[in-house]
Amino acid sequence: MISFILMVNKQGQTRLSSYYEWMDMQERVALESEIIRKCLSRSELQCSFVEYRGFKVIYRRYASLFFIVGTKADIDVRKVLKSTSSSKGGGDGGNVVKGGDKLYVENYENELGLLEFIHSLVETMDRWAGSICELDIMYQLEQVHFLLDEMVMNGYIVETNKSNILRPIDLMDRESKKNENMFR
Amino acid sequence: MSTQARGLNNFISDLRNAKSKEEESNRVEVELAKIRQKFNPGDSKLAADGSNPSLSSYQRKKYVWKLAYIHVLGYEVDFGHAEVLSLVRSKKFNEKTVGYVALSLLLRGSDASMGSIVDTMKVDLTSGPDPTGKKKKGAVKNDAVQCLALCSLANISGLELIQAMHVEVQHILVSKTSTEQVKKKSALCLLRLTRMSPDLISGREFAPHMGELLRDQHLGVVTSVMSLLNGLASQQPTSYECLIPNVVHVLSLLVMKKECAREYMYYHTPSPWLQIKLLKFLQLYPNAIEGHDIGMGGNEHVNQVMNVITKILMETDVSDSINKSNADHAILFEAVNLIVVWGTTCPVLMRDGAMSILGKFISVREPNIRYLGLMIMAKLAQIEGSVEGAKKHQATVIVSLKDADISVRRRALDLLFVICDTDNADRIVDELVAHLVVADASIREEMVLKIAILAEKYATDLRWYVDTILKLISISGDYVSDSIWHRVVQIVTNHPQGDLQSYAAATLFVAVTPHRCHETTVRIAAYILGEFGFLIAERPGMSGEDQFHVLHQHWFIVDTTTRAILTTAYAKLANLYEECRPLVAPVFARSKNSSDVEVQQRCVEYSTMREAFSPESVEDLLREMPPFEDKRRSALEVRLIETEGEKSAAATKASTPSEVEQQRALMSIQMLSNPPAEEEMEPIEEEEEDEQDVEKTSANNNAVQLRDEVGMDPPDVNKYNGVSNPMVVGIPKELIPAMRKAFSNLCTSPSGVLFENSLLQVGVKHEYIGAQGRISVFFGNLNSTPLQNFRVKIDQPGHLRMQMQGTQDLLDDGESDGCTVATKTQAKLLILVEVTAPFVDAPSMRIQFETENGDQHDYPLRLPLVVTCFMEPVNLDPGAFMQRWKSLEGPDRECQEVMKLPPSASSGIDEGYMDRVASVIVDGLKFGRCQGVDPTPWTVSGAATFRTGAKDMNGNNINVGCLLRIEANPKANAFRVTTRTLHPLCSKAIKNVSLVSIKLAA
Repeated sequence: MISFILMVNKQGQTRLSSYYEWMDMQERVALESEIIRKCLSRSELQCSFVEYRGFKVIYRRYASLFFIVGTKADIDVRKVLKSTSSSKGGGDGGNVVKGGDKLYVENYENELGLLEFIHSLVETMDRWAGSICELDIMYQLEQVHFLLDEMVMNGYIVETNKSNILRPIDLMDRESKKNENMFR
Repeated sequence: MSTQARGLNNFISDLRNAKSKEEESNRVEVELAKIRQKFNPGDSKLAADGSNPSLSSYQRKKYVWKLAYIHVLGYEVDFGHAEVLSLVRSKKFNEKTVGYVALSLLLRGSDASMGSIVDTMKVDLTSGPDPTGKKKKGAVKNDAVQCLALCSLANISGLELIQAMHVEVQHILVSKTSTEQVKKKSALCLLRLTRMSPDLISGREFAPHMGELLRDQHLGVVTSVMSLLNGLASQQPTSYECLIPNVVHVLSLLVMKKECAREYMYYHTPSPWLQIKLLKFLQLYPNAIEGHDIGMGGNEHVNQVMNVITKILMETDVSDSINKSNADHAILFEAVNLIVVWGTTCPVLMRDGAMSILGKFISVREPNIRYLGLMIMAKLAQIEGSVEGAKKHQATVIVSLKDADISVRRRALDLLFVICDTDNADRIVDELVAHLVVADASIREEMVLKIAILAEKYATDLRWYVDTILKLISISGDYVSDSIWHRVVQIVTNHPQGDLQSYAAATLFVAVTPHRCHETTVRIAAYILGEFGFLIAERPGMSGEDQFHVLHQHWFIVDTTTRAILTTAYAKLANLYEECRPLVAPVFARSKNSSDVEVQQRCVEYSTMREAFSPESVEDLLREMPPFEDKRRSALEVRLIETEGEKSAAATKASTPSEVEQQRALMSIQMLSNPPAEEEMEPIEEEEEDEQDVEKTSANNNAVQLRDEVGMDPPDVNKYNGVSNPMVVGIPKELIPAMRKAFSNLCTSPSGVLFENSLLQVGVKHEYIGAQGRISVFFGNLNSTPLQNFRVKIDQPGHLRMQMQGTQDLLDDGESDGCTVATKTQAKLLILVEVTAPFVDAPSMRIQFETENGDQHDYPLRLPLVVTCFMEPVNLDPGAFMQRWKSLEGPDRECQEVMKLPPSASSGIDEGYMDRVASVIVDGLKFGRCQGVDPTPWTVSGAATFRTGAKDMNGNNINVGCLLRIEANPKANAFRVTTRTLHPLCSKAIKNVSLVSIKLAA
């Protein structure tokens, strides 16, 4: 699953962060700064994946903006029923770990898939705000959050159809203009 | 949004303009104080829910957004929850939106205030569009509210929320009236809930619903449903197995027909993310294609999926658009993952195809593809029979090891580790070691660990392993963890065959000779030289004294852990070499008040050991360590698993023993099943403890002493008894009891057979006068062919003066190759001996020869030369006996042991038995029986003089008076043997011989 999404400028300042699993603020700050440091120090010629503290971090750079996605393996607990374990035998592929009477099924995200997902996110944001830049994200943070919530929920990709993604945002826009603008 | 709140905008601008982190945090503090003040002014009353009713909607939204913003910047926000909740409760849509977003950002399910919001969320959740569909606008809005609630619920779910709402969420997902927007969100929401409590959903009932949802036209719904399905199926694979055809169907529509709404096309690839999820689902069923005849009309969906995979493999190509190329490769890699999961059930052709595609990938310039190619190849190579394909790319992989990118290097290292086997271990390990020199710090530790594992796993010659580890230490010693050098010690100790031990000792001697060397080297060297230094002590420039000097030059620059190891090494050296004692003593004396407890304790114990214990127990304590128990998992593997996770490619690899390893293990088992003399000695279990063995053993000291039986076990069976080595034949285990018996017999009788097998018979005849003896040993060839290179080596302990004469070249003087003993003939050896001091261990005699077929034989034996051989009986009257008996009281003079006879050994102790005991004491041990002291038949007392050839100050021979008393307890079926002499060693030696003789008399 996706653990977090960060949008960071060239100076390493976080402009947007969205976490899909709870993390203490202290831990979060430490992790962010370390990952950002690692990503920013890499050159164009290096690959877009960084492994850090159990996260596989996938990042992509657009001009002065870095999009960083941290992923972790899903861990599902599978109860071992006598019948299933015998019928399934030991051939559970490479991603099943036995622990006591439970199986831990690990499921990794596809790296290239997420790399292109970042691009899809950026394209969607472009469609929404023209060419997206740091200021758009800063001053319209709530909109970006809505947009992101439409695309990723709970750490999973929920929608990649740009019209579908932007429809609720348009709706909200219209709503707030009609009644009273969102802020006054 | 066009109309932004000015306050918020200003705040953001301020933060943007902040020049330093301090400035930013000051600004944030000011803002937080202000918001706190606004939310709780103190003068006005707060509403029932804790929010401030006097705030306008605008203000409330603005401040909550500021909090959200501050939170994103990484500052703790621990207030304002009440305001957030009041926004959520609001009837106004735009307030609700802000409320819900802030809710997901700032709160978590376990927060106390969550309880009060449950009802509001429940209402929002169920506020689905009016089924009559009259008010269109209202419907859209409610749909949006539903989505908001679902979204928050997914992000913050706590246990309480789950219990309250999972029924609703499930219902919304399968309801016909839910909009697509709501369906896809509820699917992911449900996924979150089931992760928290897996028993919410019964798979059997829910699977048909999932099947229905997969038929949805809306790909967004299918995408989210697939995420949910992957989660559910991971938990209960069997319940969802029935959906495989549905999933395959969706997949083949996308891949084969490219049937996909335009909006979901991503650079002409139909929703790559959905394809990935579908392929991931199939990976949950590794046996899905097992037993199906592929392409032979078998199962329809199996054929379908094979077509899909083939198409993905064949038609994925690099395109001009990087995005298109990435998306396609994402799918391709997922397809290869599926092949990996199928493993051997997948057609070989397909696996080979995948391997050759990956081979192409790992040589492209694009770093992402190369990275993933290396990663997946490592997985693929683990399937049986695929490693050969991967090995073809070895050279390419080695190039990637030098890549500019650490991520790529890591993968390359991983892959090399996986494809390494006996054939290419030399090359790969050398390559890795060479690369280690230039490798940067972040990867070094991992490399060192992996090199160490590979070197151990695939070493056809363990000397190469030792060399490799030493190289590692010299290149990057700081990254060589303790577990690595401990492993070296373990391996050297556990492999006595060949010359590994002496090689290791000599190599390490050279390694620590320079003044500057890594501390880890000093540690290994200290341990190995302490244990096996004696094997090289004969070599020029490597004497015990030299060994001490090369080690001791490091003493002042090493830390206390190393010093503690050095201390033990010194103690062992001092034990073996007289000349080292004066060198070692001052070191111990100085460190007796070392500030380090460990060093201090060792020094104190080692230096007082000689005074506290008898020499032979000191000998016991400082003996070589027994082989280590072979643990199921080496410490190195454990480390690897810690760093890489239980099921990483590398960990799996490390835990499967290689051929060479299995061979070695087999050899070691043979060796161990032929147990060393001290079989009762507990093997030291924890490696970390092994340096502390001495302390441990000293606790067992008494036990060890008691077990020592006249040293009649063949010396160092564990060392010489080379059954383990196919070339050297030692004494088979089953012969050992017989040998012990023969030896015991000979101790008390003038002639007999010491050893016999199908090739060789060793006979001994011995007679003594006072301190002098004459021993003849006959080596008879029972074989049909001559025994070649026959040589005998007898060690000459300090307490015996020996003169030997024998068949030419029989005696092993280190130069000749020994003599040949023709079939049915004998070689003879005559030994003249004079004893100068009491002793416990019988001198050892090592026989080596070769048979016609080239087998080398190596038998470690002992001469039946014990202290009682030199006794002269003394006949005392009862009064004199008792007088002397009393005068010899005291712990140094008396030695006592109770021996319980094994119930099976004899019919019990009767008078006949006692007679036999008495006669063996008189005839065998050469004691004068002192009848008058034994009022009952159950005791035997005797006296003798132990004559030595040593002279006292007046030039008279030194003699030791010895008294012996044996008391039987027929009821307990036990004997108690008590000996009293002026010399503690003498007491012990006599006691030991008596015990053995009593046993024999049974």
